[in-house]
Amino acid sequence: MNDDLNRLGRMTPPAPSQDARTRALSLAMQVFDDAENNSEAPQGTAGARRQSSIINRLWSPIMNRKFLAGSALATLLVVPAAAFLTLELTRGRLPVNTGVQQIEVAGKEALKDAEAKKMTPAKPKAESSADKIAEDEIANLLPSAADSDLRDATTLPEPAARRKSGVEVMVSKKMPETRQQEPEFDVAAKQTRRTQFAAPPAVATESMIGGSVAEIMPSPAPVDTLSQPEENRDRFSSTDTNPVKSVATDPVSTFSADVDTASYSFVRKSLMAGQMPDRDSVRVEEMINYFPYDWPGPDNKDQPFKATVTVLPTPWNANTRLMHVGIKGYDVVPATAPRANLVFLIDVSGSMDEPDKLPLLKSAFRLLVEKLKPEDTVSIVTYAGNAGTVLEPTAIKEKAKILAAIDTLQPGGSTAGAQGLEAAYNLAQQAFVKGGVNRVMLATDGDFNVGPSSDEELKATIEAKRKSGIFLSVLGFGRGNYNDALMQTLAQNGNGTAAYIDTLAEAQKSLVEEAGSSLFPIAKDVKFQVEFNPAQIAEYRLIGYETRALKREDFNNDKVDAGDIGSGHRVTAIYEITPKGSPAVLNDDLRYGTAPAAQADVKPSGELAFLKIRYKQPDSDTSKLITTPVTQANAVPSLEQAGQDIRFSVAVAAFGQKLRGTDAVSAYKYGSILDLAANAKGEDAYGYRAEFLNLVRLARSLGGE
Amino acid sequence: MDEDLIERAQQGDRNAFGLLVERHYDFVHSVAWRWSGNVSDAEDIAQTVCLKLGQAIRAFRGASRFRTWLYTLTLNAARDHRRSQSRERRNAASFLADPTSTAANDNRDQAEALWEAVRQLPDKQGDAVLLVYGEGLSHSAAADVMGCSEATVSWHVHEARKRLKILLGRETM
Repeated sequence: MNDDLNRLGRMTPPAPSQDARTRALSLAMQVFDDAENNSEAPQGTAGARRQSSIINRLWSPIMNRKFLAGSALATLLVVPAAAFLTLELTRGRLPVNTGVQQIEVAGKEALKDAEAKKMTPAKPKAESSADKIAEDEIANLLPSAADSDLRDATTLPEPAARRKSGVEVMVSKKMPETRQQEPEFDVAAKQTRRTQFAAPPAVATESMIGGSVAEIMPSPAPVDTLSQPEENRDRFSSTDTNPVKSVATDPVSTFSADVDTASYSFVRKSLMAGQMPDRDSVRVEEMINYFPYDWPGPDNKDQPFKATVTVLPTPWNANTRLMHVGIKGYDVVPATAPRANLVFLIDVSGSMDEPDKLPLLKSAFRLLVEKLKPEDTVSIVTYAGNAGTVLEPTAIKEKAKILAAIDTLQPGGSTAGAQGLEAAYNLAQQAFVKGGVNRVMLATDGDFNVGPSSDEELKATIEAKRKSGIFLSVLGFGRGNYNDALMQTLAQNGNGTAAYIDTLAEAQKSLVEEAGSSLFPIAKDVKFQVEFNPAQIAEYRLIGYETRALKREDFNNDKVDAGDIGSGHRVTAIYEITPKGSPAVLNDDLRYGTAPAAQADVKPSGELAFLKIRYKQPDSDTSKLITTPVTQANAVPSLEQAGQDIRFSVAVAAFGQKLRGTDAVSAYKYGSILDLAANAKGEDAYGYRAEFLNLVRLARSLGGE
Repeated sequence: MDEDLIERAQQGDRNAFGLLVERHYDFVHSVAWRWSGNVSDAEDIAQTVCLKLGQAIRAFRGASRFRTWLYTLTLNAARDHRRSQSRERRNAASFLADPTSTAANDNRDQAEALWEAVRQLPDKQGDAVLLVYGEGLSHSAAADVMGCSEATVSWHVHEARKRLKILLGRETM
């Protein structure tokens, strides 16, 4: 390289042309001469003052720095003012007058609210959060007074409040008018307020989800989730509605207990989003079982539950009757509740990155952690692209650690559920509590879409684990990709419940209020069998329980799995029965059927049906039997004489069937359901029933009835 | 000899100045030629340098470094020239598809590829290479001309060589 570069030096420059040379030289000389001449002339100017007119000389001092500083100061004042004005205008109101209204409203409303709160403690959270916002706004408007006097200002009588907060400065000229116009202002202010907080439930929910657990009110305030209708990939197994069966040919009806509530939440979410729910997503028995009913319960632990049977007229058909079976499980006193070993198996796949999924899930688990006893243990396994253990089994005593682990969950990746399930079961095994509750709680928005996960294989795994004492519960989240069928299968095979969580209120209900029922089973493999007396009943139809039907011979077979009942669980089953000789009988008599008279002699007269319940103690493998005959003594002559809980559950049944498109109730209007339910609303401490009424109204509007 | 002439020129002796310019014209021209690569550009540059001399000779201090000063003047003039030329070429590009710059290169027989490559270098690196290899100056002398430290010159040369290797591709450099 050096050689090459050195060649540059050996390059011989061509001789400059003489012409150019002389030209350059003469130019150089010329410039040299010019420069010499110029050098004599002085450079720059002498100190003499520039000539200018007297006006300029007077004007220039005015433009000096002092005054410029003044205008700069003015700008400093104008810019924040303009910014404030812009902000207020973009919020959609005029700043000055509305400001006064705001304060008056806040002052008055604060008083009103204080009173109102005394009267109705379960007032929706929305109000108070709205008030909080109003307070914040006062704080913004009046920075000077806000810090010290905000509380006083809002609760003082209104003129005092105004004086204290110094609003007079802003509206001093208008004071007298303002006083006169107060009533008008109030109206206007209320309107402002209404427009401003047009969507309070949403606001409330957001703050609930984002905020701390302590802030959450146990009110299932309905949440308007107006999501865009998008392609729906939710999967539900479609099952035909139970047909009307003739007692003569098929006198026995057998089904398994179902305490799930997922269907109701899903229906609610659908209706709230402005869509009629998918028919297959409606499981009537889950809707009925969603509501707490006050069925009489058993007195001791030896008899885990008690059945109450009522026969009442059918609201939607004058010629049939309803046989209503209400079952209440024994309520385990919290002190005697066994230790719990819970493994949260959490889906953190990319699809969980939505406000109603992972964030809601986190809040839900925080609620559950708060509910558990100090010696209970919790572990967390996540699954996405690959499964990972986030938290080894940790006692609730170290709550901070658990909550921190929940907080770190981040969505991302696809779903490898089978692997996650395995990891979760391993952890559950690791912290196994003998005689306690060992449960994997699976939270997901969809299915297990990666890995060896045929539904059958999963089922087999879960069954195997169930036998070793580890149960599985399923919490469903989100909408659009929900695999209801799989979730049901998993929970049913894992001796657990499937709940669908669409709002934090729902999480509160299913994880906190009903934690006992879903966590502490008091009986497993609960089966029902009803035998109808052909002498009294011509036909019957089981409402709901389509996915829970069992074969008649399986009732006595202890190897056949069935539903579980937890502490304090309520199960309600309703049959629509057609009495013998009623005009509503659908099936003709059998020409070659045996004469009913022969049987009537055998049975005690007046008995309508015979209810048998078979169950196993949680730690036992042999079943026990409870039997109850249903006689005319169980019957009530009119609907009104049935208890309000019964009437309400019947209303829910009617609604569920209507959403499912069942023929029997097609002539029964939503309006009638509404009346029936409204009259049976009862105390409704948590507002579940009020919410149901809203759903019926929504369905009526959406269904165009 | 130069010192004498400069002193007299600075005092206004135009004959002395004429003599001085005449003596150094060839040097300036050859440097300019190395920088620009063709005769007509070199003449233009040399003329610019002569004008500069005429304007600035009186302000020049440090007679012993006259040649260094000439280098500096020439380098700057050459750079200015190149810039104005590329400006013109850019303007002309809208009218002429193919600029004639390659045809005007008189240096085809002498290491043309290397020449082209050096002229593509960034200003400082090109200057350093030409001063060190073309003019045969030491790094410290080149540093004087370029108004920077010796180490900087070495660095420029080093960078230039790295770059030349890339520019000339597979050719053995």
